[in-house]
Amino acid sequence: MDFSGQIASLLNASAILPEAIVIVTLLLVLIIDLIFGRKSVPWLPYFAIAGLLASVIALFYGWDNPNPTSFLGSFTSDNLSIVFRGTVALSTAITILLSIAYIENTGTSLAEFVGILLTATLGGMLLCGASELVMIFVSLEMLSISSYLLTGYMKRDPRSNEAALKYLLIGAASSAIFLYGSSLLYGLSGGVTNINTITATLQAGEGLESLGLAIALVFMVAGIAFKISAVPFHQWTPDVYEGSPTPVVAFLSVGSKAAGFAIAIRLFVTAFASVTEEWHFIFTALAILSMVLGNVVALAQTSMKRMLAYSSIGQAGFVMIGLVADTQAGYSSMIFYLFIYLFMNLGAFACIILFALRTGTDKISDYAGLYQKDPLLTLGLSLCLLSLGGIPPLAGFFGKIYIFWAGWQAGLYGLVLVALITSVISIYYYIRVVKMMVVKEPYEMSDIVKKYPPVRWNMPGMRPIQVGLVFLLIATSLLGILSNPVVTIANKSVSSSLVLKASLEARINNISATEIKTVL
Amino acid sequence: MLNLLLILPIIGAIIISLLPSEKESNLNKNIALIFSSFSFIITCLIALNFDYNNGNFQYQTFLSWLPFLGLNYTVGIDGLSLPLIILNGLIVTLAIYNGETKQNAVNKPKLYYILILLLTTCVNGALIAQNLLLFFLFYEIKLVPIYLLISIWGRDKRNYAAIKYLLYTAFSGIFVLTAFLGLNFLTDGNSFDFDKITTQVLPQAKQILLLLTIVIGFAIKIPIFPLHTWLPDAYTEASTPVSMLLGGIISKLGTYGLIRFGLQLFPDVWGDISPYLAILAVITAIYGSLIAISQTDIKKMIAYASLAHINFVVLATAAGTPLSILGAICQMFAHGLIVTLLFHLVGIIEEKTGTRELSKLHGLMNPYRGLPFVGGLMILAVMASAGIPGMVGFVGEFLSFQGSFSVFPVYTLICLIATGLTAVYFVILLNRVFFGKMENKTGYLPKVQHFEHLPAVILAVIIIFFGLQPSLLTNLSLTTSNSIALLSN
Repeated sequence: MDFSGQIASLLNASAILPEAIVIVTLLLVLIIDLIFGRKSVPWLPYFAIAGLLASVIALFYGWDNPNPTSFLGSFTSDNLSIVFRGTVALSTAITILLSIAYIENTGTSLAEFVGILLTATLGGMLLCGASELVMIFVSLEMLSISSYLLTGYMKRDPRSNEAALKYLLIGAASSAIFLYGSSLLYGLSGGVTNINTITATLQAGEGLESLGLAIALVFMVAGIAFKISAVPFHQWTPDVYEGSPTPVVAFLSVGSKAAGFAIAIRLFVTAFASVTEEWHFIFTALAILSMVLGNVVALAQTSMKRMLAYSSIGQAGFVMIGLVADTQAGYSSMIFYLFIYLFMNLGAFACIILFALRTGTDKISDYAGLYQKDPLLTLGLSLCLLSLGGIPPLAGFFGKIYIFWAGWQAGLYGLVLVALITSVISIYYYIRVVKMMVVKEPYEMSDIVKKYPPVRWNMPGMRPIQVGLVFLLIATSLLGILSNPVVTIANKSVSSSLVLKASLEARINNISATEIKTVL
Repeated sequence: MLNLLLILPIIGAIIISLLPSEKESNLNKNIALIFSSFSFIITCLIALNFDYNNGNFQYQTFLSWLPFLGLNYTVGIDGLSLPLIILNGLIVTLAIYNGETKQNAVNKPKLYYILILLLTTCVNGALIAQNLLLFFLFYEIKLVPIYLLISIWGRDKRNYAAIKYLLYTAFSGIFVLTAFLGLNFLTDGNSFDFDKITTQVLPQAKQILLLLTIVIGFAIKIPIFPLHTWLPDAYTEASTPVSMLLGGIISKLGTYGLIRFGLQLFPDVWGDISPYLAILAVITAIYGSLIAISQTDIKKMIAYASLAHINFVVLATAAGTPLSILGAICQMFAHGLIVTLLFHLVGIIEEKTGTRELSKLHGLMNPYRGLPFVGGLMILAVMASAGIPGMVGFVGEFLSFQGSFSVFPVYTLICLIATGLTAVYFVILLNRVFFGKMENKTGYLPKVQHFEHLPAVILAVIIIFFGLQPSLLTNLSLTTSNSIALLSN
């Protein structure tokens, strides 16, 4: 009795209740599909969405968990992880909403798609709270392998196959590199795998280990930079985005990326606390490269999905400013931006999916003159793109200005200036699309738009997209103006996180020390 | 009351967007007109109830908005923003009215009027914002409506002009934002509220750096040589009402920002950079005038004239004496009225004759076949622009030069030459376009209806009224300009 109680308290299984809900949903989806067969259960995707929302509610009730450590320290369900897990689950819920018509249109099975997507979500959610090297690797692989499957889901489309193969090869290599990095860490620390305690043992034996630690750092950065598609680990992004089914891209660009950032925060702040300067430096370089390359190359794209791929690389660069700032405001601005990014990027993808469903193309020039035919779609895509470009009063403006503010406060003047200049460049290519849709005269309309089918929402699968689109648009327009509660939550999640506490305190001491120096 | 200025146009825009049909051009227009004239009436009411002996902000509203950013909804109005708000209300109403005929009826009227109403809100917001980030927010929002207004309803090269405008203004925004962020952190403030920021605590080098960033940001917007190249393209390629808005009110945001966030926030180091600013202003004024002389397109000529005249404001701001600041405010007001009038008249000429080329237009004063009434108004506008006494232009220029002379005597004299040059290019314009013999092959030009030149008549009346009663104009801002001005001078 006593023993089992001890075990139960060590396991603390209630911490993963949200994940458990996702697992149950996943199993039920597969079983129902198995028993009743394809086409007979049209409410299956909605069931999955309900499961995900239930998981979000469970996360909400897990807020301020007094005992966040579970499974002997391999999973931490603190507020920081809750925020990120919520983001991942929410992004999947919306992705499913957007994918119903798309998947049915291609004639493949929806239940399997939802199943794989839920598995990826599970991996992403576990990754957000993972605090042990093996756990990190397992959940990372869970996310990655399901993502490979998803990118190759359109098995008859050669581009989808190509994307899946590219993603698989590069992804497997980066996983291997990440694993090698963690094995180095394991060796250096003398067999410790928990990232919260690894620092102590690493710091105990300084000197010879530093080179090994540096190599481990670089390898693990490479693994995570692949997930968040930071330059120079971004090569897969444009090809995969272009080839994969669009709903999958929507998930990859938001859910998968959020999970990547979550683990980046947790891993580098704890395990690499002794080499803070170094990882700051690496991420500064990654951020500058991502912002410049992502935003500049996006200028030259002709395919909408490729353009959004490069834009997402650039956006990842902006988010990394918060990571490099390594302050309370920095982390909460990251969380805030990722949360907003969820809505505006998914909104953009919703519009692209809708356009692709009606016309079957995603070339930017084919959008010419869309305003005359479909004002709602034009308005939606314009709002989301302008928000991504950081035009007030949309959500993206507030997200960006908060990140710049945090970066500036942390003294990253150069980084913020690069971000400001590249964000002007980004306005140019976002507004190019808006111009294409709104400005063109009727006689300049593209052939595709001329043959644009009449807008009908009552076709199968269209209603969910409409609901999703309207929800995303409202969030994109209002979340910035009413961002106070969201930022409060983000702030609370950062300040209550034990993981970040030590780092932030050290950082504050450091800053005040340098300030004293400058004053003297 | 002040908040209504922001809300009313947005309500109008929402109502227009909910209208069922795109075809009903008149309905869209009338709703836009109703809402813009409502907000104009409100500005007039504000002016009537304004306490002219109080140099501080009035009608203040404070709402805590995003405390984590230091962004509060803080609005208020003083003698610097009051004339510009009135100007904005007037010009927007006239631009929406713009004597629409069958030929120049806008296509996509719904979008057009929504954008103009949004633009009104942005300009009003920027003028009354007393929080630096709030100002920046409005300053950035207006980018998209203007971009679309130029690139949808402009002339042949509109795409090029619109993109150029967009990029220049976006960079202007970056400079302004950088300076604001720097200001906030260097002075260790946690709020971007205007009255809570003092720069005097900063070391001088940092103050100069920040001021320089702000000045460059607004110099793009005003614009000052050599950052002016977007101006002729944007002004000429835009349609007549949009040109009226651009030249009449949007350009004032730059000079407003220069006074509000340059001079007023950095009184200590303003003197260190003002001579250079004055030199650039003089160069721009002379340069603009000379280029205007060589133009063959009358709209472009007016664009360059506007460039030259707005830099008198910059000179007066640089001088920073009580009189010159008053002059700067009056000159902004006068410049807005005159440029709007000129662009409107050019729009009528272009519509009736189908061309803007100096070489193709002759003898429009012809009482039977020409446009005599437009010609008369044009002569009046040109006289006002050249600073003939009895018009509002004289008030602005006289006060500006009188105030600046004690600080920059040489530059002021050179600027006087630029006003002389105004007479040169406008005489060329009048002489070629309106006088002389009208070619017989031109035939009878279509008659200008009364409703078409109504905006011009209104503007002309106001120009003469304030020219004869300048004290009404100067009283609006006298107290404020005294408190803004550098007392050390």
